[in-house]
Amino acid sequence: MTDAGLPHLIVRNVSKRFGATTVLDRIDLTIRRGELVTLLGPSGCGKTTLLRAIAGLAQPDQGHVELAGRDITLVPPHRRNVGVVFQSYALFPHLTVAGNVAFGLKVRGRGKAEIEATVERALSLVKLEHLAKRRISALSGGQQQRVALARAIAVEPDVLLFDEALSALDRKLREEMQVELRRLLQNVGATAIFVTHDQDEALTMSDRVAVMNKGRIEQLAEPRELYSRPASLFALNFVGLSTRIAGTVVGSQDGKVEVDTRVGRLSAMGNFVAGSPVVVAARPEHLRPGAVMDANSVAGRVRSVVFQGSRTLVDVDAGAGESLLAELSGRDAAMPRVDQEIRLTWPVSETFAFPAEARA
Amino acid sequence: MTEAVLALPAQKPAVDRERLTAFGFALPSFLILAGIFALPLLLLLGVSVIGPDGLTFANYRRLLGTPYYLGVIWNSLRLGLLTTIITLAISYPAAFALARARGAVRSLLLATLFLPLAASVIVKAFAWTILLRSDGVVNQTLMAFGIIEDPIRMIFTETALIVGTANIFLPFMILPIYAVVAQLDPRLSEAAATLGASPLVTFFGVIVPMTLPGIIAGVALVFSLSVSAYVVPTLLIGERYPTLATTIAKAYLLAREPGFGAAAGVVLLIIAIVVVALSTRLGREQAAR
Repeated sequence: MTDAGLPHLIVRNVSKRFGATTVLDRIDLTIRRGELVTLLGPSGCGKTTLLRAIAGLAQPDQGHVELAGRDITLVPPHRRNVGVVFQSYALFPHLTVAGNVAFGLKVRGRGKAEIEATVERALSLVKLEHLAKRRISALSGGQQQRVALARAIAVEPDVLLFDEALSALDRKLREEMQVELRRLLQNVGATAIFVTHDQDEALTMSDRVAVMNKGRIEQLAEPRELYSRPASLFALNFVGLSTRIAGTVVGSQDGKVEVDTRVGRLSAMGNFVAGSPVVVAARPEHLRPGAVMDANSVAGRVRSVVFQGSRTLVDVDAGAGESLLAELSGRDAAMPRVDQEIRLTWPVSETFAFPAEARA
Repeated sequence: MTEAVLALPAQKPAVDRERLTAFGFALPSFLILAGIFALPLLLLLGVSVIGPDGLTFANYRRLLGTPYYLGVIWNSLRLGLLTTIITLAISYPAAFALARARGAVRSLLLATLFLPLAASVIVKAFAWTILLRSDGVVNQTLMAFGIIEDPIRMIFTETALIVGTANIFLPFMILPIYAVVAQLDPRLSEAAATLGASPLVTFFGVIVPMTLPGIIAGVALVFSLSVSAYVVPTLLIGERYPTLATTIAKAYLLAREPGFGAAAGVVLLIIAIVVVALSTRLGREQAAR
């Protein structure tokens, strides 16, 4: 892994249309060697099509794809050296577990001894060596998922592509697999792209997340940055919870704006000219009961209190159709009760204004 | 049977009751099938080996010891094999086309496949005699385009026979293959491709093995239908190409030799069973690899 960190997969200006629908709209994406990247977005945002374009299963109308220093735009999938784990796993039911893992090695004409050794190694990576002789139909969903992974890893592809690979698993198994898969991929130094609509999966598994919407990448950022500094209202909405209040900019100064809303005047980070319609947003963990100087503050009546173990979500009706969402930890002494009048406060530095028309 | 069931150790009564219930449910249909199929076949076997002086194999000696009748058996086998090969060659791509087709096109294709099944075999065979005779549509078309000057002899040739049989039994090959192809997950081909398999390798390494059950069902159906076909050979080629089926009919209807007819029937049955059993076993072995 001496060349870790170098650009490894480059997607350049790729577009794809199906009929009148633009599925991919001039996508640019560069992924470094050994990086785990997630394409996150709602169904129909183009994430699967982008993955298929990288795998060679969908031909872009324009643009280029480069992998490991080679332009593969026109290379058929079987000469690309990519590994794909499909949502349905797409295991060969007429072959055993070992037969499935050996498939890619056999078509590459590897020797019998090498194939056996590689299959054994790949199966032990996913902890399935004891099931090598089993038929696919005799495996559970989680085991099939591991076979699909072993099969893709065995050929040592230049990039591993996961198309909603975990979404068929039940919640508990999925969460276990997220952590395990990330560790495994880091151990073998794989470059991988996950496609998912599950934000938790994206935040857990990836070094960087690309939030996709309507065929474009809205934001490409590390999970922590994506959460705390979303680049658009869409990214904010898609990852994590937030309080969002619509309003109009009345003044701006030093990268801050004053916004008139139906629940009073609020300050937010952002650059807008006066009169711009905006949405002011903040993450729930920044909202606290009480009042502080030079901070945003809105009063309301508690609508619901949802206890979730380590945190409690408090939904407050601020009147005029606006609501506030606060996340309080167990240490916050007095937990509000439903119907209680409450004032919530949050710092201006954690309040952001987004153009309102970008609302998804 | 009942005794054996009751004599099993008493530790697993639930399983025993389950088995007994299953057996009970299967019994009526088992009896009906035995009465309709097994009994007549046993009678057929009996008639073929019982002569006026008791047990005899004279019928089989005549059938298997005479060059003429060996030729008849060969004719039947040839008809069955050629028809099966030709229908398979046509049906395999046709089944994929059918599975890929959508909406109205698929309905239309399925209808053209199913509708002829509603027409009698005699009608279809007779239609072929009209098409293929010297002043038939095929010859007239070829002459109209100047491709040939004089009519070609088509009717009463083996080619006409095979073309007619293949056409008439085609649905029995397409439908079982189509049933399997329609269930085929397109992701499997994609998975094979991303693993490095060229389209050709994917076809022979994934598609063919996975559609084998449909191929085997179709082969078994079409072979047993065409090896024993009677109407089509009679109308399309007649006396020039005696088959086991026409020989059986002649033995019963003209020569009044039920013993000989029964023996020919048994041979035909054995041929069909052997081919069906072989192809099924081939499929199992392939599946177990």
